[in-house]
Amino acid sequence: METFPLRRSANTSPESPTYQSMTKKNTNNGSRATFVSSPDEDMIDIQTSRPAGGGDLHRTTRLGDDEDDGITHFVVDSVAYSGTQESGDIPGIGQYDDFHTIDWQRDIARDRMRHRYIVKKKQDSLWNLIEGAHDAWSGWLCVLLVGLFTGAIAGVIDIGASWMTDLKFGICPQAFWLNQEQCCWSSNETSFEGGNCSQWVTWPQLLGHSRTGAGAYVISYLFYIIWALLFAALSASLVRMFAPYACGSGIPEIKTILSGFIIRGYLGKWTLIIKCVGLILSVSAGLSLGKEGPMVHIACAIGNILSYLFPKYGRNEAKKREILSASAAAGVSVAFGAPIGGVLFSLEEVSYYFPLKTLWRSFFCALIAAFILRSINPFGNEHSVLFFVEYNKPWIFFELIPFIGLGIIGGLIATVFIKANLYWCKYRKSSKLGQYPVTEVLVVTVVTALIAYPNPYTRMNTSQLIYLLFSQCGISNSDDMCDYKRNFTTVKPVIEFAPAGPGVHRAVWLLILALILKLIMTIFTFGMKVPCGLFIPSLCLGAIVGRIVGIGMETLAFHYPQIWLFSGECSTADDCITPGLYAMVGAAAVLGGVTRMTVSLVVIMFELTGGVRYIVPLMAAAMASKWVGDALGRQGIYDAHIALNGYPFLDSKDEFQHTSLAADVMQPKRNETLSVLTQDSMTVDDVEQLLKETEHNGYPVVVSRESQYLVGFVVRRDLNLAIANARRMVDGICGQSLVLFTAGNAPQTLGPPPLKLKKILDMAPITITDQTPMETVVDMFRKLGLRQTLVTHNGRLLGVITKKDVLRHIKQMDNEDPNSVLFN
Amino acid sequence: MKSYTLYSCLFLASTFVLINAQSYEDKRCKCICPSISSVLNNTEFKNHTSRIMYVTNVPPNQCNCDGVILPRIGADIGSREQEFCPRCVCKYENRNTTIIKVVVIIVIWVISILVIYMAFLIILDPLLNKKIKGNYQEHTNEDDEISAGPMSHNMSVRGNVLNRVGHQQDKWKRQVKEQRKNIYDRHTMLN
Repeated sequence: METFPLRRSANTSPESPTYQSMTKKNTNNGSRATFVSSPDEDMIDIQTSRPAGGGDLHRTTRLGDDEDDGITHFVVDSVAYSGTQESGDIPGIGQYDDFHTIDWQRDIARDRMRHRYIVKKKQDSLWNLIEGAHDAWSGWLCVLLVGLFTGAIAGVIDIGASWMTDLKFGICPQAFWLNQEQCCWSSNETSFEGGNCSQWVTWPQLLGHSRTGAGAYVISYLFYIIWALLFAALSASLVRMFAPYACGSGIPEIKTILSGFIIRGYLGKWTLIIKCVGLILSVSAGLSLGKEGPMVHIACAIGNILSYLFPKYGRNEAKKREILSASAAAGVSVAFGAPIGGVLFSLEEVSYYFPLKTLWRSFFCALIAAFILRSINPFGNEHSVLFFVEYNKPWIFFELIPFIGLGIIGGLIATVFIKANLYWCKYRKSSKLGQYPVTEVLVVTVVTALIAYPNPYTRMNTSQLIYLLFSQCGISNSDDMCDYKRNFTTVKPVIEFAPAGPGVHRAVWLLILALILKLIMTIFTFGMKVPCGLFIPSLCLGAIVGRIVGIGMETLAFHYPQIWLFSGECSTADDCITPGLYAMVGAAAVLGGVTRMTVSLVVIMFELTGGVRYIVPLMAAAMASKWVGDALGRQGIYDAHIALNGYPFLDSKDEFQHTSLAADVMQPKRNETLSVLTQDSMTVDDVEQLLKETEHNGYPVVVSRESQYLVGFVVRRDLNLAIANARRMVDGICGQSLVLFTAGNAPQTLGPPPLKLKKILDMAPITITDQTPMETVVDMFRKLGLRQTLVTHNGRLLGVITKKDVLRHIKQMDNEDPNSVLFN
Repeated sequence: MKSYTLYSCLFLASTFVLINAQSYEDKRCKCICPSISSVLNNTEFKNHTSRIMYVTNVPPNQCNCDGVILPRIGADIGSREQEFCPRCVCKYENRNTTIIKVVVIIVIWVISILVIYMAFLIILDPLLNKKIKGNYQEHTNEDDEISAGPMSHNMSVRGNVLNRVGHQQDKWKRQVKEQRKNIYDRHTMLN
């Protein structure tokens, strides 16, 4: 019953034209010719035709008519192959080993078969109808759940991190769960000194000292360092103890996984828990890192765990990646409160296979996640990020020049960061430093805390600093940065143009110091063995640069209002230059340079600011930064880390520009033999011997070693499982049993019963000829998501090209070490 | 298992106690104004950064200068309210302290449970394992694990929950060991 609808769909498979033309030549196959020419025909036809086909096959084989036989085989068996795919008699067939590449074509075909089966059964009973309906909406249900959980967990992380960050400074004794801002939230004190209030007790106060003074400063300093050390130590040791995969940002790995690679446990339960907890701890430790990048990893882990509730996604790696793409969108959506930006991030940066269906699901998932986080309201500001600012100030056309300048500076900073960070990571990988991961975290924490505390801008949470830099100077902002010599005699509520006071100069110097410190510390921090993201530090670097440039421009415009550039707009003495806008543009520039995002970055930034007015400045800066970055160093940080780790990631953005042919790349090289299986002449012992001697992940099956006519392809894992299963389940299978990849009954011989393995044989492997240009081959690997392709010459099997071979070849052509590709 | 129930009881108890302990306001209207001297023009101009902040609990539609500021300092500024009011910024905000409380307590609990478990794995587990290894020699043979997995699953009796938990834990430990080897020793991933 099960095989029936599946078999029918195989008629529409792309191979049927070949088959048709071949069978026309082959006159004794009349019955099957009719069955193909009418693909919608009923089941009975197929069934009657099949034994006939099998019989034919057998006869021709014995006649030794190799040429026709090979082709008829191919089609007849591809029909049966597709049918038996789903049934899965043997446990574990169709799964993948750790660190292996998935076969997108095979998985998608499997899902199509399963879908057909369900559609067909729908008419049978009411229960089947419900089952079919459940199947149809399970994708949406799954992304709904992913959105709910992602939003909730993001809320937990936001609240937990902001509470724990303030724990370094003091505590709210009446309600210990509130952070400093929330503690003073409802206090009605007219003073306005750095948000302090009597309810919030700093550590020196708790020890009986006064709030200010040298002694209090030293105690605060000590407490700051001790808490930072404690949090960092906890984070590093939890990661080391429970889930080593939770360290780092996770985006390079997510990119690799989405491109069709298996890393078992990378998106598992423990990784999720430890990543959340470790993220709270490492953000609170005051390290120069952010929680936005790991949020993508967390969301993907949630997606992976929830997809197991729906067998349609949980058991099919290619389908699972659709859910993971949507989860990645939800991750960015909650990280920045930017649902559309999240969808575009998933599309532009992480996803590999992104059909429209996935786009809509990502959209929905991001929406739900953002909605949940927004209703949790973690920061009490009605938004899902701390540094949300609302802007409605115009910018003047001339300002595009400084904006592009900021883009160039951003590109430069990003290049310096990428190069230095990569150098440090390589050093860590190859030297003794890599043996002391926890010590490294502790040392970096102590150094960061020691340097960061004296400077108020580095002492505070990085998100708060970004908020401060983004916001414009108003009545509610009493920071040094807004110390302008304004007089309040005019009635207008707007902040008028004024000369900078001494506070601004002080702030600029402190900001320059903060910039240097953040840049250096981030280089050393990113890649440590704690959960750490990169978005917030790079946004912060850019915001500092932007703010400084903005203040400079403002001062220039104030002192030289007669310059023709400023004369038009700045004569009215307000709304002339907004340093906060420069900070925003600068932030976009550095982040764009580091990650090489463009569209999604601009959308994220304008969703952060709630104003479409600044799209052009942001676009200009992002573009300039990308150009500068691309000119100075080819790769963004994520691609650079993928290359550093040697993940088998075939970038769909790069072009292949060499003129090599498939014959140059394929395995085996000259003087080596290709390990193949024959369709009906090898014994179980022979096969097991081959499996022992070679380490290939799959073997082509040929008609005979002499002819090398291709029959199909069989995967090592499946072969192992099938043999082990048969030895357990089927009586009489021993070392001398013949292994048959053909259909029909075996010839009646005296020996032990044959082992039929046609079920695990892929009868439709993608083949190319040896003269195919590599450009086409690379394109096929990218667009079809192949795992391997078989190379033929004059119709005879010549060799195999795997994804690893392609990656090695690309590396070799780019004059890099081809052995850096580690996995298969 | 016993300790877990004990912990969860404690957890629930502490949560209830804390919820009743103190209630902070969940709504506020916050107004920030420059100091009154800025409109009165009678004091020295130096102190221009000083601000006054008012936090009250009024309905959102009254969260403005007229509703919050003027009733308090109307007498001080006299007839200059038309100049003073436009410089004040009033914002109505709300939050949810219950969510914050629950979340922070959950975070503390999760972290402490993880730390306790980590301490257990580091200190006690090696001691316990030594004893067990002597008794059940056959369990240490890990090579047959995969092939024996489904078989033992079929044969295992339902009452054997504890064994199965232990089995799962062993499997998980092996996975973590593998991950640790990849990352900390061989440096093949996540550098």
